[in-house]
Amino acid sequence: MTGAPPKVKITYCAECGYEPQTLELARALMLEFGSRLAGIELIPWDSGTFDVSLDGQLLHSMRREGGFPDNDKIKKAVRAHLTV
Amino acid sequence: MTMDRARFEQGLTYDGYKAQMTRNLDRVEENERRVELRPEDLAAFRGLPRQLNVVVLAEDWCGDVIANLPVLGRLAQESGRLNIRVFLRDQNDDIMQRYLNQGKYKSIPVFVFFDEGFRELGHWIERPASVTELRARRRSDIFAAHPEFGAPDAPVDQLPEDVRGRLQSELQKMRDDTASFANAEVVREIRDLVTRVAA
Repeated sequence: MTGAPPKVKITYCAECGYEPQTLELARALMLEFGSRLAGIELIPWDSGTFDVSLDGQLLHSMRREGGFPDNDKIKKAVRAHLTV
Repeated sequence: MTMDRARFEQGLTYDGYKAQMTRNLDRVEENERRVELRPEDLAAFRGLPRQLNVVVLAEDWCGDVIANLPVLGRLAQESGRLNIRVFLRDQNDDIMQRYLNQGKYKSIPVFVFFDEGFRELGHWIERPASVTELRARRRSDIFAAHPEFGAPDAPVDQLPEDVRGRLQSELQKMRDDTASFANAEVVREIRDLVTRVAA
């Protein structure tokens, strides 16, 4: 990885009961990457949102892909970014 | 899933549901106070030929439940013709599976109306389409009036935090401004449904 550690943002619908999936993904990223991430930001939103981005790059969008992300795929994308 | 008297009585009364809520009770009670019931609507419900049993699927985190269940609660309270039992969605998947929105989404609230013999008369899901359409238009207007909010479908996490906060405030104001229309539409749709099926 070159430059500053990346930041992951998880935008979730707070009116849809998506907290468990949000916390599960955040926990998985914390345990896998620790301080190699600059931060994990949780953004409460609405309208059925569940978006995951890495330094501004959208890794998953519930609207685009449908459903929740596969946490292993998110971790794989973060891992790939860190090893560039 | 078979609904009968025994299963129905396992549900929570409206007040019992409110008593077990762990969040958003203040918003539910505020919405109860805001619902305006027209005399002709109340007369229609009071004039139902028999009391209806109403199964409700709900969860206390859901915005549509917070908005729309109080409308049903007020109608039940003031008409005396709707006997409500609330079932928590995530503990009653057998009921939820029978009333999936478009056959796949676990949208709530769900209101299912039964006669005294627990024959199903009809059901209502989530919110009126007219409310969804109005709010989509108003949402587009907000984005058109505020270029700093970006594209309506763009991920909001790319917005600076202060801009995101202003967008959230604008969207909340829009929901507040359309709440009276939304409540009236819920009453209209439920009234149409129950007066049609209970006749």
